[in-house]
Amino acid sequence: MLALAPDASSEKGARSVSTPAKWSAVGSAPDVLWGECKGSGSSPYRACVDLSEPAYRCTCPSRKFPCKHALGLLLLWSGDGVSPAEAPPAWVAEWLDQRRVRAARASATTATVAGDEPSPSEPGAAERREAGSGDGAASDRRAAQREERVATGLSELERWLADQVGQGLAGARQSAPAQWQELTRRLVDAQAPGAAAAVSRLPRVLAEEDWPARLLGEYGLLNLLAVGYRRASELPAPLRDTIRSRVGFPTSRDEVLAGRTLRDHWDVLGRRDEEQDRLVSRRVWLRGRTSGRPALVLSFAPVGQALDTSLVTGTSIDADLAFYPGGSPLRALVAARHGGAPAEPPAGGGVVAGPPVGGGLMTVPSVDGGAVAGPPVDGGVVAEPPVGGGVAGPPVGGGVRAALAEVAAALEGDPWLESWPVVLGPVVPARRGDLWILTDAASPHPASGDPPAVEGMPLHPSAGLPWRLLAVSGGHAVTVAAEWTPRGLRPLTTWDEEGQVVVL
Amino acid sequence: MITAEEWERLVSAALVGTDRRPVPDLLGQAAAHTVGARAGQRLQRGEPLPAAPPEEQSLVPRAAGERVGRILDGEQPRLLPEWLEAAAVRGYRLPPKLVPRVLDHGARDRSLRAPVGVLAGARGRWLATLNPAWAYLLEEATAHMTSGFSASSAPDPAAHSPSGGSGRSGGSEEEEEVEVETHQLWEFGTRGDRLSYLRSLRGSDPARARALLRRGWEQESPEDRAAFIHAMADGLSMADEPFLEAVLDDRRREVRTQAADLLTRLPASRLGRRMAERAAVCLTLAGNRLEADPPPACDSAMERDGVRSRAPGGTGQRSWWLQQLVAHTPLGFWTHHFGRTAKQIVALNVGEWSREVRLGWERAAVLQNDPTWARALFAVEPLTDLLAVLPPAERADKAAELVHDQPVDGQLIMMLGGIPAPWGAALAKAVLEKILDTAGRQPWNLGELVRLAGERVDPSMHEVAARFSPEPPVQEVAATLRFRFDMLAELEPRP
Repeated sequence: MLALAPDASSEKGARSVSTPAKWSAVGSAPDVLWGECKGSGSSPYRACVDLSEPAYRCTCPSRKFPCKHALGLLLLWSGDGVSPAEAPPAWVAEWLDQRRVRAARASATTATVAGDEPSPSEPGAAERREAGSGDGAASDRRAAQREERVATGLSELERWLADQVGQGLAGARQSAPAQWQELTRRLVDAQAPGAAAAVSRLPRVLAEEDWPARLLGEYGLLNLLAVGYRRASELPAPLRDTIRSRVGFPTSRDEVLAGRTLRDHWDVLGRRDEEQDRLVSRRVWLRGRTSGRPALVLSFAPVGQALDTSLVTGTSIDADLAFYPGGSPLRALVAARHGGAPAEPPAGGGVVAGPPVGGGLMTVPSVDGGAVAGPPVDGGVVAEPPVGGGVAGPPVGGGVRAALAEVAAALEGDPWLESWPVVLGPVVPARRGDLWILTDAASPHPASGDPPAVEGMPLHPSAGLPWRLLAVSGGHAVTVAAEWTPRGLRPLTTWDEEGQVVVL
Repeated sequence: MITAEEWERLVSAALVGTDRRPVPDLLGQAAAHTVGARAGQRLQRGEPLPAAPPEEQSLVPRAAGERVGRILDGEQPRLLPEWLEAAAVRGYRLPPKLVPRVLDHGARDRSLRAPVGVLAGARGRWLATLNPAWAYLLEEATAHMTSGFSASSAPDPAAHSPSGGSGRSGGSEEEEEVEVETHQLWEFGTRGDRLSYLRSLRGSDPARARALLRRGWEQESPEDRAAFIHAMADGLSMADEPFLEAVLDDRRREVRTQAADLLTRLPASRLGRRMAERAAVCLTLAGNRLEADPPPACDSAMERDGVRSRAPGGTGQRSWWLQQLVAHTPLGFWTHHFGRTAKQIVALNVGEWSREVRLGWERAAVLQNDPTWARALFAVEPLTDLLAVLPPAERADKAAELVHDQPVDGQLIMMLGGIPAPWGAALAKAVLEKILDTAGRQPWNLGELVRLAGERVDPSMHEVAARFSPEPPVQEVAATLRFRFDMLAELEPRP
């Protein structure tokens, strides 16, 4: 449950207010909890939680979301400290009504783009909102104007790249960074924020030992993007969509939601938050249990404000996902979630973890004895899902060769791809000098006498010594969810001997 | 897809510039190569790890594992040692995911290593072979000693070897022949395992423990000798005297000092008699006065008996020798020699050397673990070290009195710091009253006292503390006690 906390201090705060003594007028009804918590002020804070989302509300002034009162209330509830009530008090009912009205309005209108990727460096953000509302001729004109600007900006990029390789890259370390800054600015002006961001990421290449080769590769990919845009009419539609999104044309939320959706049980594999320009982006990787499809759900918030917490690592959600168009669709929106929250508090204090759920289909890697069939859920052992999603055991993993093949197929659809979630398993970590690799647990051991060697996918050098992964594995088979990158895997999550999720 | 050599040619052309070294569509080729290399990534060769052996201990209950995770994350961090101790005593192991962080704590803080040695389990030892920073773990006792093993149980017959094979001790006296079976923990265990085995054996059969130790004494490393000699304190008797007397000639000073300290507890020992002779010359009774005449020199015989000749800076040599000499004289000698009780002797006027003599006695009371003398000396000077010698109940009573009478200052905190947990009702009440009393006047002084009370008071008193007063510092103590109460309850096996 505390995985819902936006940060450690909220978590601590939540514990401190999770004792019954702090609360009065607490109660629960199916799908909603409420209570009044004595705070520093004269009147108590009123907190309530809509368990079906989950969604939170509290009258405290905290900007954290969910605040410690809402979390504390959840903890109290999970510790059986909240007894069911006949009906929620008026203030709770009022809030629920407001939420219902808002939800209805949101699905009725098409103008909302809230939560879509905001890009502070993109002057078109406001414009896009208008574009979404489809205002006939005016918006067509604006769209045409933008195409023109982008075309000009990208052909300038093409020329600049040709000049660079014409003159030679030898002096790039000294002269290029200033030029990249200028180029980034011009591409932003040309309304190609995606291309601008790609240029602004170039300086990290210079830190590498083989920077000339890396830089040439990056220039090649940038050039490919510019050329691709110029010759878009000759290309198949999915690749064209990929190019347009890489260049930085926005796809509105509604457009995505209007497209086809895919329903599946989506395992939440892991997440990573990154801060850039006072904006925190959260990437949450999912994988469909049945479809095997990977997905990436992005959300954004200004530094210091709470990010979307609806997708909790280690849980599984039954949902419809709508994918952004492209050659290798990855980014997606949760269009609809099925199945409400449990009416009873989860067992065992409600922390997000639990025995693996699933029939005999699932393979649970056992730390002590290789892969064994997962325990079937029977005999009254029912894993109770926490708020907002079902507890999941490890997802079904694949071998390292299959993962490489999957990445290769994804690159075919999107050659600019630099991140792709994979689930490997059963795998074991192995050493490669100072680096580590993940290798299939079942990989044949060479005949005795040969120097023992196995083959696997390398971990990203920045992953360092993966002690936690090593501790959980102990040289035995585990399932590992990781982000593939061109430089190696970044481990996200693994599952321990009890099937509990371990964030790496 | 192009070859590595062709790619290198392209890179060097790009470095020089295609103006000088023309290459058709260099950027297009570069993109094709880069994407091709990513899509065609090959597997890399590596060296497999040996698999960790299976675990023999049971995993801590889930709630307990989650709680220690929170402690490691910074909630009540000062309770980490207590959690580790409590879980280790029950023979549990940690969830593997927490092992690396706990091993890091053990690397920084030696005092945590014994419990970490148990809790890390087989997985921890496996990890320690991969990380030199955790190598200390390989020296610590494993869970064997806590998981039902006791040294008095039948030793492993496979490891049995006839005694006396290397039965020469360091001493000149012949040890009585004792049949010593060896146990594989003693033969092959880590240093911690061997020490635990020795302690356990010493507890049940001191003679057998001594014989076991003597047999391999010469082969033990100096560190092991120092650790093992310390284990002789339990069950000490005159039967140990010949061995300890011989150990006074050990090469390692630490070992010699330990042996000398132990011998001072045996008034009939040769060392005890030698010290008594020296002491009788230095301190003489004249009416109700004690005349002190510090030794003029510290000869090698005195040094052999544990007197350090070099005084620490700021202390006069003769003053130091006198203090050391008194500290190493069996306390029983004085009562016998002067025909008075400890209480009477302590009250005697010693004139200009009174400080040295008192320091010597205080040190002796601690070294010789003598509650009678400690009690007498504590009445004169309430030293924390002396409290440690008193029986727990008396110690707590004395501490409660001090808490009642003294203001909250560094000295009081230090004294309380010397009182091990759990603090019983009387001391707890005194401390809570002190906290309440101080909260109104000097709340800034309370931090450490509040923390100490939370950590040491018997956690089952959490409700008493919570009801004691609504004042925040008292409630803080109650909250910590509640946390510990829950923490310990989680470690108990479910009914």
